[in-house]
Amino acid sequence: MRFRAKIVDLACLNHFSRVINTIAKLAKTCTLRLTVSKLYFILSDKVANGGVSMWCELCQGNFFDEFQMEGVAAEHNEIYLELVPENLSRALKTAQSAKAVKIKLTNKHCPCLRVSVELPSLSSSSRIVTHDIPVGVIPRRLWNDFREPSVPDFDVSIYLPVLKTMKSVVERMKNLSNSIVIEANLSGEMNLKIETDLVSVTTHFKDLGNPPWASEDGCQSSAQGRDLENMAEARIDIKKLQQLLAGQQVNPTKALCNIVSKRIVHFILLHEDVSLQYFVPALA
Amino acid sequence: VNLECILHCFLFLLVFGRAIHAIARISDEFWFDPIEKGLALRSVNSSRSAYAYVFFSSMFFQRYCWTAVSQPCQKEKRLSLPCKLIIKSVLPVFRCVNVLERNVEKCSIYTNVNDHHITFQLLCKHGVVKTYNLTFQECDPLQAVFAKHMCPNILKVHSRLLADIMIHFPTSQEEVTLSVTPVKVCLKSYTEEDTGFSKTMLTEIQLNPDEFDYFQVGVDSEVTFCLKELRGLLAFSEATSVPVSIHFDISGRPIAFGIEDTVLEASFILATLSDVEKETAPQQPPCVSQRQESNAEAAASKKPRWNGNAPNTDSAKPTSPLAKQEIKSIPRVAKKGTTGVAGTAITEAEDHATLEGEATESQIVNPQILYHTEFGGSVSYFCKYCVFQFHSLFFGAVCCKEEDAISHTFHSLATPSDAEEDCGSGQSSQV
Repeated sequence: MRFRAKIVDLACLNHFSRVINTIAKLAKTCTLRLTVSKLYFILSDKVANGGVSMWCELCQGNFFDEFQMEGVAAEHNEIYLELVPENLSRALKTAQSAKAVKIKLTNKHCPCLRVSVELPSLSSSSRIVTHDIPVGVIPRRLWNDFREPSVPDFDVSIYLPVLKTMKSVVERMKNLSNSIVIEANLSGEMNLKIETDLVSVTTHFKDLGNPPWASEDGCQSSAQGRDLENMAEARIDIKKLQQLLAGQQVNPTKALCNIVSKRIVHFILLHEDVSLQYFVPALA
Repeated sequence: VNLECILHCFLFLLVFGRAIHAIARISDEFWFDPIEKGLALRSVNSSRSAYAYVFFSSMFFQRYCWTAVSQPCQKEKRLSLPCKLIIKSVLPVFRCVNVLERNVEKCSIYTNVNDHHITFQLLCKHGVVKTYNLTFQECDPLQAVFAKHMCPNILKVHSRLLADIMIHFPTSQEEVTLSVTPVKVCLKSYTEEDTGFSKTMLTEIQLNPDEFDYFQVGVDSEVTFCLKELRGLLAFSEATSVPVSIHFDISGRPIAFGIEDTVLEASFILATLSDVEKETAPQQPPCVSQRQESNAEAAASKKPRWNGNAPNTDSAKPTSPLAKQEIKSIPRVAKKGTTGVAGTAITEAEDHATLEGEATESQIVNPQILYHTEFGGSVSYFCKYCVFQFHSLFFGAVCCKEEDAISHTFHSLATPSDAEEDCGSGQSSQV
């Protein structure tokens, strides 16, 4: 099992750091899956996470100048590692002016991801900062736990409002309530609602647009034939939503959510080379 | 006994505020010691493993007025007013130091010995005047002495570089190890966990000797010290733009970070982990931190370093070997020992302290010693241990502990060889 990668381009490095920062805000611990062409950050829906799950996919070619990976076996050419993304985020935080960043899987005392940052210095040789991030190697037999979740059979799919606006609304609401109701319909309208003994607050968004989903096998999904004004709603933990929004440092190319009434809200954030899916179950 | 000591000063607030903040990282209280040449601030942490000293010469202030006044009943003038302030009371004065400089036009500090108050008065914009009256406790002077010139390893570097390096360590990182050879310098995070499986991220930085303004490595060494306590000094030195010098030796011996220029001087002396402790399981009373100064065995080989000087006085009087003094002074019970720290330390301080009802016993304070005494060590064991322990302490001087619960069992160990004033006040017998 081997893994070596190198980033030389500063823009790529910043981009990669931003992705890691987003992941770090969403999960304390997550799984990093490495394949020949992609990296995945996966959080599976365990009770400990509050039932949320996350699937983030990156094309390695868009970030790394060098990328070599050898999986556990020839027919299973993948590596699954458990790590604390906050560590990776910290290691990259001070690498903003780096000449090069190398990431390597090592096993000196215990398996680690070694991040070596080569920084410019006043002297002839560069300054080298090395961070050893402990990781856990996930055995082959557990890989099934980390399969890509399928898009749920949603009632409504709608584009999200401008994330910055949504974030400031949700942050204020967070001070008042622990849960938030997201409701939306197929006419491009979305409401964010909180209700407590003392106060209820609703923010209305309109003209958001609904993404067209081509049904795979031609049969009707539950979204079709649905009354356009009818709202699908789900009540979720407001903190989870706030974490998702707070972690976004750059506006995604596309941001949308799929709502299964009273069951689950599925957020999809797409950038040019990164896709992030975040599943938040509805509260009872 | 009274001393009237008046200081009027205009501060370079940022620098002074940063100095206070730096000292605040060491301990909750600090010694405020105005002398003729300037104002000295000192602090030592509870485990006596970190000592901070900042000295602002009178020229640092817009106006510095220090007078020693003797009362009619007094034979001699008191030349110093060593007193202690609680940092928490002072910090609010210098909170938000950056903002301070914009709003505050002038800051005066003056002391009123009769009331036991030190007053910080800030004259701010728009006619606002903020006055902080802080009570101080009189106490015996505190001073540590560290023979920098005897250190084989000396590095000098601009504070900007140090800050650029330290930024790579998380703010929660407690301890770091500095490892040097003549050709390379390496700084890495230190963790006490088992190397078998470590859950914490470890960071290591390799530097080239070229990056230092001055690089002298006489002996390859690896010293581990507390980074948290140092960060305050780094912020302070950045404010002053004075380069930082680092003096150190092998592991177990203290490391000193210092800055010095024409109007100010600072020294932060930190204990380092000694190799012996790294290997053996520490047997220490629970309340003592894991990390301690060099232990007795390592210390036995050291020469006593006692220098009865305050950095700002001229009289450099090396004292006679300590062993004799200590053993002789052991039998004294519940006496306020003299500190004899500086040529200027006066015993009148103790008289006054008695009146205050404070226990101002001079002690070598290393909690380890105290506990050894308590746990049934015989006097002779106590003496022997303390003699060695004293030799090993990088604090050549005596530290003062107020209201110490077991102070009544603790005897003053350190006495000066030349304290004429002691005889004058009829205190304990001196060697």
